[in-house]
Amino acid sequence: MNQNERGWISRCQQGDPNALKEIYNQYHKKVYQIAYGVVRQREEALDIVQEVFIKLFHSIKNFKGRSQFFTYLYRMVINTAIDHTRKIGKYPLSSLDDVGSFQPPEDIERGPEKTLLNKELRERLNRALDKLPPEQRAVLVLREVEGLSYQEMAETMGCSIGTVMSRLHYSRKKMQELLKKDLESLSEITSF
Amino acid sequence: MKDICSSILRLLNKYFDQEVTPRERILVEDHLKECRSCQKSLKFMEELRSLINLQIREATQEEDLPWLWQKIERGIHLQERPTLWQFIQSWLTSSPFLKKKVWIPVVATLGSFLLISTQIFYKKIPSHPDLSVVEYVESQTHNIMVYEFDKPKVTIIWLFDVVDKDSTAS
Repeated sequence: MNQNERGWISRCQQGDPNALKEIYNQYHKKVYQIAYGVVRQREEALDIVQEVFIKLFHSIKNFKGRSQFFTYLYRMVINTAIDHTRKIGKYPLSSLDDVGSFQPPEDIERGPEKTLLNKELRERLNRALDKLPPEQRAVLVLREVEGLSYQEMAETMGCSIGTVMSRLHYSRKKMQELLKKDLESLSEITSF
Repeated sequence: MKDICSSILRLLNKYFDQEVTPRERILVEDHLKECRSCQKSLKFMEELRSLINLQIREATQEEDLPWLWQKIERGIHLQERPTLWQFIQSWLTSSPFLKKKVWIPVVATLGSFLLISTQIFYKKIPSHPDLSVVEYVESQTHNIMVYEFDKPKVTIIWLFDVVDKDSTAS
């Protein structure tokens, strides 16, 4: 936690909304990424970002500085996102619109066949991710996207390092099983 | 080889995440030299990482979300107006008079005062003595009622004239 961040937190604890704006500017993209990684729907993820920052403003008084601030914030994001996932649980999570919106510009240059293949593979990846429990999706996002260490993940998730390792292990294993047939194609996608 | 692979798979995750000890690193790297299946697993982890990374970053890089901040700001101000219940709750939590070390002695004192004062109050009210004996004697000229009280020892005798209905009517 740097000096600026300490100042923002302290001002925010005294009820200053401008300090919350500084925290928002610093963290909103990461909060959005984590929320999206867990719920896999744009609108839901944006709702979560909004909910988390409002909650943060009212609960930041409880932050005593014993842990790192980002683990405190990410924990709120993960808990809120898991709650949302359970509420929308009966519906398929990733919508086709979301899948369609993900298309790196290089795809266009690679020709229509390749683009179609990549889209299909992405849909399969989305479906595979949807099959994971939200806690396992959360550890995957925290590790693969945010690059948190096992210790930081344990603090964020409010569990032991052993549980984090176990969730990571099972999520990767499950993804490997689900995408077994697509492994070669996946190599093609990732070797842009 | 498969047994070794299943036991090394957890270490492989740690190795991939750079969380292994130097000793574990040597163990995994030695195993990887000769195990094609674990090499594939490691390759898959790399691919999965870049794919998830790419997908999430692509999906979330679209905007700076300034409009979202405006919504958050509105949300904060809306929630700042406390409801009646929130006001009562905050008053209950913040009021120094309602801290345990204050209100417990206050309630105890009030309770004892109430108990003592009721005792005194009830003692002052004169209790109506019960009638112990009632006798009623009728004769042609008079009716007599006799009341006796225990406390205080009192005897009351009521004497009624019998009204001659015929004479009154005439």
